[in-house]
Amino acid sequence: MDFTEIDHLLELARLELSNEEKEKIAHDLAKILDYVNQLQEVKTNNLEPMAGGTFSKNILRDDGIDSRKLNLEKEGYFEVPPIFD
Amino acid sequence: MIQELHDKLINQEITAVQLVEDYFKVIQEKDSKIQAFLTLTKVQALEEAEKVDKKINRGGKIGILEGIPYAIKDNILVKGVKTTAGSKILENYVASYDATVIKKLRNEGAILLGKTNQDEFAMGSSTENSGFFVTKNPWDLTRVPGGSSGGSAAAVAAKMIPFALGSDTGGSIRQPAAFCGIVGLKPSYGTVSRYGLISMASSLDIIGPLAHSVEDAEIVFKAINGKDQKDSTSIDVNFKDDIKNLKFKIKNLKIGLPQEYFVKGLDEEIRDRIEAIVQKLLNQKIQIKKKSLPSTPYALHCYYIIMPAEVSSNLARYDGIRYSPITNHQPPITNLHDLYFKTRGYGFGQEVRRRIILGTYVLSKGYYDAYYKKAQKVRRLIIEEFNKIFEDVNFLITPTTPTPAFKIGEKSTDPLSMYLSDIFTVAANISGLPAINLPIGFTKNNLPIGLQIIGPYGSDCSLLQIVKAIENMVKVSL
Repeated sequence: MDFTEIDHLLELARLELSNEEKEKIAHDLAKILDYVNQLQEVKTNNLEPMAGGTFSKNILRDDGIDSRKLNLEKEGYFEVPPIFD
Repeated sequence: MIQELHDKLINQEITAVQLVEDYFKVIQEKDSKIQAFLTLTKVQALEEAEKVDKKINRGGKIGILEGIPYAIKDNILVKGVKTTAGSKILENYVASYDATVIKKLRNEGAILLGKTNQDEFAMGSSTENSGFFVTKNPWDLTRVPGGSSGGSAAAVAAKMIPFALGSDTGGSIRQPAAFCGIVGLKPSYGTVSRYGLISMASSLDIIGPLAHSVEDAEIVFKAINGKDQKDSTSIDVNFKDDIKNLKFKIKNLKIGLPQEYFVKGLDEEIRDRIEAIVQKLLNQKIQIKKKSLPSTPYALHCYYIIMPAEVSSNLARYDGIRYSPITNHQPPITNLHDLYFKTRGYGFGQEVRRRIILGTYVLSKGYYDAYYKKAQKVRRLIIEEFNKIFEDVNFLITPTTPTPAFKIGEKSTDPLSMYLSDIFTVAANISGLPAINLPIGFTKNNLPIGLQIIGPYGSDCSLLQIVKAIENMVKVSL
């Protein structure tokens, strides 16, 4: 990883680093990325990525129409009670 | 220990005020060497203890945790108390509300004595990354207590506190518990509310107890678990079903030994000690099966993609304006751009900066699919393998750490070698499973050895029962 790439990441992450530390970070990141890149050995065809640590899903209520609040007589749009006088 | 202290309080052998004062005395004697605490809350603690004493004197009935002192890791919010998460960027931050776990323990009447040291924002395995000072291992002051909940583990191990809370994102409760010779529970993901826990990696973080015994860990877990309106990922554990299941199974319990955890690099003394425990289980006619989890060795690779990705986004909130502004810049800052760059450059320590940059990289354009998405796919594979194995065995036994506590400074210059000390603990976080460290003896150099027991998702209560049984077996042989 060269300095231009590190500078781009620092800009995205809003971090200021000394040149000395940039060198160290570039060296460390290369080693860590080498390590995590071993993941490419694992076959993951047809697997959906997880979005978190469990299979729980959002719990949503069904949409419902409260006819007291809506005038469905008018075609094409809902009429709701006025908010401002 | 909690039950013992509770009995002393109700039999009026000791007052709650005396108990609190006794613990502060031990802290004063020992903590100058161990350095487990960042903040002490003596005034509030004594006030609360007086209330408990009044209640006892009136003949009121007290709960099991009422009047029992405890400590918490400094990344958990307590209203009106300094909460730094071990970081300079939060050096002067005073929390404006209580975390749900604090509210729950307060309702139970437990008494907070102080906040414990940790690796900055829970990033590290030795507590050497604290922005303030290094905590020492009570068994050998030249060694690390583990991390990131190193302060909590050291405080409990040195008997400065009956129990403490920590947080576990990749092993941060179990690894220091193993290094310090105490019990540490990482509950199933979501069973304890994260509201008021300073976020590190939200799909992995969980709060749990560090304690002297499995019974104590269970008492605390029962007090802090449960669904919380303020954490949408929180769930209720179905205790009754879980325990009913166990009673049915206990006579034909099957335990798995995943071979991927007993590899080259595992300390010989740890391996021997675990084999001795396995032999004891076999003598009890418990079935032990050798098992394989072929994708598990990749859990640490997944972890070092998913965790920094979540870190880089969670830590974006520290902008130098909110929480704890840093105002003494020289020369003074005159524009917003510099304020962000300089505060974050100065306020975050080296490891935190490294992980933010790594996370920014794996999420950035052109790399997202190769790293983040790939890791989330392998994560599914690891979870599916665990689910499959738990169709055949009830629990898994592994070492908690590959080595006993290492020397201070030994790994702090090489991040990758530090990361590898979490190799046996991260899989439980990647897959949300409950896991516990049980101390099972010592090396020749008198350093604690830990055993990890992993259960299926949501089996926290039956896991605790099984580990209690193993704990009794170990006690006899120690």
